[in-house]
Amino acid sequence: MTTEAKGHDNKQIVQHVFDELAKSNPQPLLAHLADDFRFVIMGSGSWSRSYDGKETVLAELFAPLRARLGRITTIPVRLIAEGDYVVVQAYGRNTTNDGKAYHNDYCNVLRLDDGRITEWVEYCDTLLIEAALGPPLAASVT
Amino acid sequence: MTTAANKQLMQDLLAKAAAGDRAPYVAAIVDDVTMVVTGQYSWSQTFRSKEALLRDLYGHLASLLADGRRTIPLRFIADDDHVVVEAKGDMRTKDGQPYNNDYCLIYRLRDGRIVEIREYCDSALTEAVLGPFPAALKQVG
Repeated sequence: MTTEAKGHDNKQIVQHVFDELAKSNPQPLLAHLADDFRFVIMGSGSWSRSYDGKETVLAELFAPLRARLGRITTIPVRLIAEGDYVVVQAYGRNTTNDGKAYHNDYCNVLRLDDGRITEWVEYCDTLLIEAALGPPLAASVT
Repeated sequence: MTTAANKQLMQDLLAKAAAGDRAPYVAAIVDDVTMVVTGQYSWSQTFRSKEALLRDLYGHLASLLADGRRTIPLRFIADDDHVVVEAKGDMRTKDGQPYNNDYCLIYRLRDGRIVEIREYCDSALTEAVLGPFPAALKQVG
């Protein structure tokens, strides 16, 4: 498959995943995650690290986020695709359980292999994560 | 310009800038450029001209950072008139503190020039090392 054709297919997959995330539906995302999927939050914040493996991502990242936010809504603005990579410019429209708005700006760099998402590297306002969500360990208590 | 030409242009401009020659990069920015520093921290704002960008953002950075600062591009992802660049800063403040931020930059190009830049970076690191953006330089609107 040419790089251009692959980029087109990957873009369609990621567009569908994010169209559903915009409706707070994580199911297409979960269905497209490779088992060795890793999620990297860039930077120096308390949530910043590489979460390696689908199980680790679900248990140590998605679960604590859901504990704080309930339904999670991420709205895509633009997709930029080339070869194995699809970049999603997006923003969140979320509310913490204690009523604080949490509207982060995201640049997500996704890598796909054979129709599955193998990597998600997230760039966002790390200071806003701290302010709205606090450190990740406190999440597992609630 | 094609996707490939846009990608090549950004690769050339950023390679030169990382090697210390920032002039071609600056020359490629159009006068009415829009640069968005995304997020909600003190540096987050939209610069709406090249003059404002060079004076208020790059000028302020130059006042804080030691000579020889550079941004090392790691990956380019190009699609039509957009080129995404993941990059790592290799900088020190004037008092010697390392400042090595992680950047994701979305460039929009038109006719071989940079018309729009969106910057995502580690705001916690920016605030911790560089401090708050000065209110006097903050863009209105």
